[in-house]
Amino acid sequence: MLEFDSATKRFGPLTALDACTFTARPGRLTGFVGPNGAGKTTAMRAVFGLVELDSGSVLWKGAPIGPEVRARFGYMPEERGLYPRMRVRDQLVHLGRLCGGTTATVVRSVDGWLDRLGLADRAQDRLDTLSHGNQQRVQLIAALVDAPDLLVLDEPLAGLDPLAIAAMSDLLEELAAGGATVLFSSHQLDLVEDICEDVVIIHAGRVVRAGDLADLRARATQRFVRVRYLGAAPDWSGLRSVEVTEETDGEALLRVDQDVDLGALIDAVRRRADLVSFVYQPPTLSELFRSAVAA
Amino acid sequence: MTGPGQAWLVAVRELRERGRSRVFLFSVLLMLVGTAGAIVLPALLDTGPAPRDVGLTGAAPAGLVPALRAQGEAVGTTIRVHRYDTPADGEAAVRDGDADVLVVDARELEWPKRADEQLQALVTGAIQLVTVRERAAEAGIDPDRILTVLAPPPVSNVELGQAAGRSPGDENAAFVMTLVLFGAISTFGAMVLSGVVEEKSSRTVEVLLARMPARSLLAGKIVGIGLLGLAQVVALGLVALAAGALVDSVDIPAVRPAVVAWAVVWFVLGYALYATVYGALGALATRTEDASSVAGPVTIVLVLGFMAAFATFGSIDTTWARLVSWIPVTAPLAMPFRVAMGAATWWDLAIAVVLTLASIAGLVVLGGRIYTRAILHTGASLTLRDAWREVRPGSR
Ligand SMILES: Nc1ncnc2c1ncn2[C@@H]1O[C@H](COP(=O)(O)OP(=O)(O)OP(=O)(O)O)[C@@H](O)[C@H]1O
Ligand SMILES: [Mg+2]
Repeated sequence: MLEFDSATKRFGPLTALDACTFTARPGRLTGFVGPNGAGKTTAMRAVFGLVELDSGSVLWKGAPIGPEVRARFGYMPEERGLYPRMRVRDQLVHLGRLCGGTTATVVRSVDGWLDRLGLADRAQDRLDTLSHGNQQRVQLIAALVDAPDLLVLDEPLAGLDPLAIAAMSDLLEELAAGGATVLFSSHQLDLVEDICEDVVIIHAGRVVRAGDLADLRARATQRFVRVRYLGAAPDWSGLRSVEVTEETDGEALLRVDQDVDLGALIDAVRRRADLVSFVYQPPTLSELFRSAVAA
Repeated sequence: MTGPGQAWLVAVRELRERGRSRVFLFSVLLMLVGTAGAIVLPALLDTGPAPRDVGLTGAAPAGLVPALRAQGEAVGTTIRVHRYDTPADGEAAVRDGDADVLVVDARELEWPKRADEQLQALVTGAIQLVTVRERAAEAGIDPDRILTVLAPPPVSNVELGQAAGRSPGDENAAFVMTLVLFGAISTFGAMVLSGVVEEKSSRTVEVLLARMPARSLLAGKIVGIGLLGLAQVVALGLVALAAGALVDSVDIPAVRPAVVAWAVVWFVLGYALYATVYGALGALATRTEDASSVAGPVTIVLVLGFMAAFATFGSIDTTWARLVSWIPVTAPLAMPFRVAMGAATWWDLAIAVVLTLASIAGLVVLGGRIYTRAILHTGASLTLRDAWREVRPGSR
């Protein structure tokens, strides 16, 4: 288990991490979301000692992270970077060896991953002759090469095509299912909602929501109602404690309180429009995110 | 496995990746061939003074031809004698360059232009010898005896050079060796610089430092590139020794195993000193373009050190020259030069080695700190002062 315990980091006057406390659990995918500049990258770098915390700490299995332990973590930094002129396979073997594996095991692992990610035929090519997406795959292998217990991936989906995103999601789920602790940041909230059991929402250096996603959704005080109707948009005025958050032709999204009287609401909508469907649901991750960040 | 083990992996990577570069291998080969050639070729081409052609016409005293040859032999010059039936034939030969001088009736020397003093002395000497012999015979003295008495003793030339026991050949060898050391230290130091900048600007450091301490990364890089440099310097030294042994006609004391061994030692010391500084400064640059401006001052110091080492030539015994060979920034170039010139005492060496080792130790601590602080810094290049301010003891 990876624990952030009141982690605080200041850059001059700016507080990039403000007493961040959250955990990422083994066997689960933890999505790390937050607006630009929220502090995601700073938090992830702190795991590897690339950022020195001003106070607080990051713990792995309850203990501070020393060099021996750290060498066995997998990390995909936000700013990708590998030796541009080095051959793909040599490079991965070198990075794998730095984690402490023997040449034989590292080579086996590298070849396995190259094969799985469709890069076997590029193994002897220089990295900078590969396309951006393929370089990204190589970067992923660099993080996975030593079968780490902890994987920290900073925006692993950025710059991937839809097929690659699907493949990457499958892979992340598979790794978590294999018992690894996986923390990854992303701005693709729908996807995070689909694949993550846990989420951490960070805003301006502060953790504003953290924990099991289903729990967070259930505990939210608001609910959403998606209504579909025939004809023009109705006049919603006169509905108490209902807020229209989206409205298009034939469809609207209403924000209501958790304890709303659903029967009365359905009747009220019927009176105003020719109702086709009425779906009552807890907030999605995007909605959680928006309300958390707006507060 | 962290620390030393990882540093060694980094060193091996440097050796492999750089040693595989064709440009590098070609440049090493070129240097080896150049060194061997510079030692062997002059010896092969140097066949002694060129032979001279002497034309004879008209009356020539008996024994003039062997006398000319004997005179030539005494100064190491081969004399080829040609006979011409008429003075006109002989003069034509001189004009065409077939003969260097024409001796007419053993009384007159005809030259293509101005008289060649050396050849004139030689020919006149031979004529005088033969004439003396003839007169001796006329006077009833045994001509052979007089000849023995008058035979020219062989006289040899010695080129003194600047230092006792060392010839200009040694001076040249010492120059070349200092030049090679300067080239090697700056080449491999620059490799450390560009390697550090490359890792930083490509952001490879982020991945590397997530797995290993910054110190091990820098140490591994310096050791790896240093081993490559050491291999090159040792190969050059061995080639120079082998070439020197091959050409036993030239005896250059400056190219001896002890001198070459000291040159190798000073390469290691000088490289360690400068590469540490280059590595630390490389971490201050953010882009490849900034590297040379950040490291500019060090390069200037290295060049000044090189010039100072050369400036000790001709005044190797002065206190100033001795100091230059002690000071750590100049010692790696000035001291091997001093050794090659035979002017270094054991205590000179001891002082210089101790001072240089102490500076290296200090620079490793300081450079390691600057590197650790600066290597993860992004944005504009740091100045040395920024990095200095960041160097707080006890951090990381
Ligand atoms: N080395 C640094 N020096 C100064 N400020 C920094 C540094 N690194 C990060 N910051 C600041 O800290 C804050 C958090 O940055 P961080 O990169 O962690 O955000 P992020 O959540 O990863 O954003 P994004 O989604 O855009 O990647 C930002 O305001 C950033 O400008
Ligand atoms: Mg980021």
